[in-house]
Amino acid sequence: MKAEFVNPFLMATQDVFDRMLGLSIEKGKLELKEDLIAGKEANVLISIVGSLLGAVVYSFPKTTALEIVRIMSGMEIEALDIFVTSALGEVGNIISGNAVSYLEKANYRCDIAPPQIILGENKSVSVAAPKSLLVPIKTKAGDFEISIALKENPNAQS
Amino acid sequence: MWKESYRIGVEKIDAQHQELFHRVDDFLRAIKGPGDWEDKVEQVKKTLEFMQGYVVEHFADEEAFQQEINYPDFAKHYLIHEEFKAEVAKYAEKFAASGFNEEIAQEFGGKLMAWLIYHVAMEDQKVGAYVRSQGGSN
Repeated sequence: MKAEFVNPFLMATQDVFDRMLGLSIEKGKLELKEDLIAGKEANVLISIVGSLLGAVVYSFPKTTALEIVRIMSGMEIEALDIFVTSALGEVGNIISGNAVSYLEKANYRCDIAPPQIILGENKSVSVAAPKSLLVPIKTKAGDFEISIALKENPNAQS
Repeated sequence: MWKESYRIGVEKIDAQHQELFHRVDDFLRAIKGPGDWEDKVEQVKKTLEFMQGYVVEHFADEEAFQQEINYPDFAKHYLIHEEFKAEVAKYAEKFAASGFNEEIAQEFGGKLMAWLIYHVAMEDQKVGAYVRSQGGSN
């Protein structure tokens, strides 16, 4: 798991949070994990295939998830319902799409799968890459985590 | 939903974006507001129908404008519009086939809101930046 795979996701998250939500993000200390963990109450899992194999998980505590959706919709919503998870899934999809564009500039050509929503904390996700890097993120809308597990695909066509 | 930071600096497009946001806002309030689904479903159907028509019209205007100014990323932007129209049509079909199921409307609403904000706040901004780089404003 190379650190250079992480930066595109952080840059894309910064771009998307800035433009869509008017929020800046502050990165915490990276942690190396044995598994890929869907760590918070609302998790968006995006699988990645191509020059790289693996997945990224955006893990939102309930309060952060609801605040992000409040900023977008202008409505107070109290539950992690399908409207909220669908909106978060699309945000994860957009960030990952932008991250893949950054990876392409570094000559890694990848595609992303549609977002999968995982509700509930600390669920382990099975992926091709052996370890993951967890990046804690702080924003004015609350904290969340990005976990990235990617490895180079030995069978990728360049 | 609308925020001033979403403006791209082209008057006609910004006015249409505001109208589009207004319509999506109506749709979201229809699906998220209080009351029984049976009582709301007619309004949801009506708003969705209107919005589908308006999206097509707005995209056509945006595309005509981009061609007029020789926007270099026109082909890519056009493709994004086509994909979005297909996605909306797919949901409208799924919604009707389900007998106007509430969960499908909620799922569509969340996705639509995030997609629209992304498209206007990020993709359309590139059109605004191009106009400014060419020395124009409106």
